[in-house]
Amino acid sequence: MLRLRGITEQRLDHIVADYQKANLAPATRAVLRFTLKLVASDLSISREDMREASSEGLTDESLLEAILTAALSGLLCMLSTGVGAVPDFALHSIPPPEHFLTVPGDESPATDEKSGFNLYAPELNAGDFAPFVFFREQFSSVPSVFLAQTRRPDILEAEAHAIRALLVAGDHLSRTQKERLLLAGEHSKADLGASDGALLNFTKKLSVDAEEFSISDIQALRERGFTEHQILEAVATRALACFFNVLQAGLGSTPDFGARWTCKPAELKTVAKKAHLSASDQRHTGIIRPVDPDGECVARVQRGDLDAFEELMNRHSQRVYRTLVGILGDQDDARDAMQDTFLKVFQHLARFEGRSKFSTWLVSIATNTGIQRLREQRPMESLDETGSDEEGFRPRQVQAWTDDPEQLYSEAEMRSLIESGLMKLPAKYRVVVMLRDIEQLSAEDAAVVLGLGIPALKARLLRGRLMLREALAPRFISSGRKGSMKGAII
Amino acid sequence: MISCADFMAEIGNYLEGEVAEDVRLQLEHHLSHCQTCTVLVDSTRKTLKIVTDTGAFDLPDATFRPIAERIMTRVRSEGK
Repeated sequence: MLRLRGITEQRLDHIVADYQKANLAPATRAVLRFTLKLVASDLSISREDMREASSEGLTDESLLEAILTAALSGLLCMLSTGVGAVPDFALHSIPPPEHFLTVPGDESPATDEKSGFNLYAPELNAGDFAPFVFFREQFSSVPSVFLAQTRRPDILEAEAHAIRALLVAGDHLSRTQKERLLLAGEHSKADLGASDGALLNFTKKLSVDAEEFSISDIQALRERGFTEHQILEAVATRALACFFNVLQAGLGSTPDFGARWTCKPAELKTVAKKAHLSASDQRHTGIIRPVDPDGECVARVQRGDLDAFEELMNRHSQRVYRTLVGILGDQDDARDAMQDTFLKVFQHLARFEGRSKFSTWLVSIATNTGIQRLREQRPMESLDETGSDEEGFRPRQVQAWTDDPEQLYSEAEMRSLIESGLMKLPAKYRVVVMLRDIEQLSAEDAAVVLGLGIPALKARLLRGRLMLREALAPRFISSGRKGSMKGAII
Repeated sequence: MISCADFMAEIGNYLEGEVAEDVRLQLEHHLSHCQTCTVLVDSTRKTLKIVTDTGAFDLPDATFRPIAERIMTRVRSEGK
């Protein structure tokens, strides 16, 4: 930024080497000290920092902007490290002054008498302000880091937009996976499966050990079956978490977004030596070249390595099985059709040229196998009917649901409820819900494997979700049942 | 002012976060005074979360192993 404003290289070097003796204006020096403390140490901003910055003439507005800019720099650093982008301007490591490394006497966040935040934050009516309505929907209450920024409603709108795009609209990772990344540190590994644990470790390394982060970390996730889109969503979610972590530390708000994983100065160094999600000649485009995580294994099978085929089968058995259950609506039939599917895959793999991802091709074969079997067994039931999806669906169950339905039943009971609800759906809706909401296929991939256009896929997905909601509603309406249902359905 | 029917026509895109800002504001204005549509949005979101969190139709390894062995027996005989 300084370079863009015409500061010479020599002057920049001087600032980087020792900004305190670089003849900067006192207010500029105070901003640098303040923001360096946020990004280059694991300390929160203290009351003393605030007093010092204010005494140099910095207003609350400029301090809020400094905190937001520091948070944005953390987000951009993590994104560029995670995707292996070459920075347009080489980043320098600015050593923090020594006294940052010792904790001053008063490190507790300043407690503004009214709000408890470091900076005065005027009250906004949470019922009228759209971003707050959205935050409440997503997080059940408005996290304090947002309440601490009411001086800048425009920034809050942008933050809501980013969360909406990533947590709500982004559909490559599940909502639960993204929430784990956003609130990292709140889950013990014991709560997680191997894949989700690997995903959490991946983003933790990106946060705390970026200097060692490399292509091998990306590759490890690919080998676990994560797609490029999923990896990018994980990096972006963790970068957003880093943004909120810095804001929390700067604003003195409650750490709703988990413990802070500090950005070390070393992480600000250029990461040009690393190649991650895209080839080096493509990095400036920002476009990720799709790499099939199964590509290497497929090539081994094509060279005659049968063990590699077993590996592919192990990786994708659940997906194939669920696709077939979705179409056939019968678990025994699905197990039989699974065997046919994998044998067809093996017989045709020599001709697979990698124009689509292997997993997409595989699910297409499973879909065709399932449809063929459905036609033979139940010719009246078809996935092909169109025309009624867009017609109005009239929900009958319109009583409010309890706040936290998942607390009402045990995990096994809940799974039984979902499976029973899904089995009641017509095949053409069931399979879409299973591919999109359980298998987490993208809308594009699900449309391809089912031979549908995106609008038709979306119409079926909505209808399927609403029908499932209808089937589940009697179990979850809030009529004094809360906390009394466990064990009641099995 | 949009009606419940208008809202239902957009609910899919709204749940996916795929509506333009001005449309979203209109939909949320409707939600602010329509209990039925609010319940539909809330319960459909909860349905989605439950389905995603719970998963369904897991194929237990003990069930899959014999199937995998049968497939690999066929594969090895065809691969020879």
